[in-house]
Amino acid sequence: MNPVLTIASLTVREAVRRRLVAAFAVLSVVLVGASGWAFYKLSHGGAFTSGETNLALPQAVVLFMFMFSFVVALSASAIGSLAVSSEIDSGVLQTVVARPVRRSEVLLGKWLGLAGLLGAYTAIVSGLQVAVVYWTSGFVAPDPAAAAALVFAEGVVLLTFVLLLSTRLSALAGGVVGIALFGLAWLAGVGGTLATAFNIHALHTASEVSQYLLPTNGLWQGAIYYLEPSSFVTQQLAASPVGQGDPFLALTAPPWQYLVWAGIWLALVLTLGLVSFERREL
Amino acid sequence: MPGQRASDPGGVQPPESPAIHTIELSKRYRAVVALAGLSMTVARGEVFGFLGPNGAGKTTAVKLLLGLSRPTGGEAMVLGAPAGDIETRRQIGYLPELFRFQSWLTAREVLILHCRLMRMTRQGWAAAAEDALHVVGLEGRGDDKVGTFSKGMQQRLGLGVALLGEPALVVLDEPTSALDPVGRHHVRVIIRELRDRGTTVFLNTHLLEEAEHVCDRVTIISKGRSVATGTLAELKVRRPSARLRVTGLPGGWWRRLGSFGRWTEETPDGEWLLVEEMSAGRVPELVSAIVALGGRVEAVIPEHQSLEESFLKLLGET
Repeated sequence: MNPVLTIASLTVREAVRRRLVAAFAVLSVVLVGASGWAFYKLSHGGAFTSGETNLALPQAVVLFMFMFSFVVALSASAIGSLAVSSEIDSGVLQTVVARPVRRSEVLLGKWLGLAGLLGAYTAIVSGLQVAVVYWTSGFVAPDPAAAAALVFAEGVVLLTFVLLLSTRLSALAGGVVGIALFGLAWLAGVGGTLATAFNIHALHTASEVSQYLLPTNGLWQGAIYYLEPSSFVTQQLAASPVGQGDPFLALTAPPWQYLVWAGIWLALVLTLGLVSFERREL
Repeated sequence: MPGQRASDPGGVQPPESPAIHTIELSKRYRAVVALAGLSMTVARGEVFGFLGPNGAGKTTAVKLLLGLSRPTGGEAMVLGAPAGDIETRRQIGYLPELFRFQSWLTAREVLILHCRLMRMTRQGWAAAAEDALHVVGLEGRGDDKVGTFSKGMQQRLGLGVALLGEPALVVLDEPTSALDPVGRHHVRVIIRELRDRGTTVFLNTHLLEEAEHVCDRVTIISKGRSVATGTLAELKVRRPSARLRVTGLPGGWWRRLGSFGRWTEETPDGEWLLVEEMSAGRVPELVSAIVALGGRVEAVIPEHQSLEESFLKLLGET
């Protein structure tokens, strides 16, 4: 078997054996179950008119997806930061890279295994969420598959970045830096939507630049777009004079150029990680 | 045979490359010199001891030989290829000094993982793992998680991993540091068996007793540089010395026999004397000379230099 696939399968097996998968499965079932109860109450509780319910449901879907995207991002940062540096510290990697394998194959295998785990988690949770929301409220987002794909892409972007950090920094430092920059990118995105609403040009430019430097929030904004019906967006804009400043509202689909940039960014950072690990003294 | 070169059309076989050959191999970490120009040659099929005190640069040298670290100077060839060559690693088994296997895998799974990384054929994995477990005395523990193993058992497993695939070169970095006396004896037996099979063993250790038991040749390194290389007998060679107890002669009599070696009075009464740096085989001659002077030779204790004494002397610690 190709060493990349050997390491990838080892990474997945570790997640299963260390009960990471079991913990996530239980957590997801609890959260999706809770969301089912919330959606049922929202649509059948009698507290809202049908018009209010139609406005509340997409917002609730976005909020739950935001929570799952946050879980994906946190998980990506945690597992990515441990992947290399902690194994170097413990001496596990020294036994592996002394074999006839390239270090790049080892890192690529880890990336593939961890990205596979994130992909499986995102797909399963998104699928469950769509089913539960439909079953309890009858609401279906315009394109939940595209939204899930973008949340997954957001997770892979952060995972790749933290893996790069893990080739040089300790697990703690890499994880903290990854999460901090993820939060900063999100805040910059929020700042950007406010800047658009209030015509603050400099803040808008700074926000735009940040979305290219770490494209996590840009991808998340794309995911929002595919979760909200256009009628909902129109109503939201009409309801509030600063509707464009709502960080949970996406007016346009992510431009293809931006998605291409995210792909290039991913390839560049992954390559940088491979080179960094190749050059790392063990 | 691993590493053997194909014969040329004229039927003349080029000489086989040494297992390890380094020329002025150096490693510097900023201002710290870890290895300061190590030159050595390890022949194929020998058990080569790499001795030195803590911090002498032994593990640094091993990491350079395996390509885990890059040299800042000099060069190293391993099994005829530049150190770190990916394909050559198929023929190298390595037991690191500080290591850990995946604690959530069983011992057998660790061995099979390494079979896969070595790209052995799938059919051979189970037998290779079973054989390795048997060789290192872990039969019956193959299905136990590595996380439940003691340090010594992990070291045994590490040795088993290093022996997978019958490598041409086995690099053992302090292989018995966590083992009890029985385990140490077992490792020595394994090393001798490897030599009998024609496997080169590069034994990195600071345990002189270990080197004395199994090594054909050793090199002693200090401050990142080789200070002596040779067989154990060669390193221990110091012109013989002897302790003597002589009575019946006036004080200072031994000055008349200064040509035998360097004399030292060991007791205030001058009866016990140490003669160092004697020419080989001169003890009987010396005794005869003392008797000829009228002395009584009450005791003669030949002194043999231990490897430890040589070691300390070479390191400038005596």
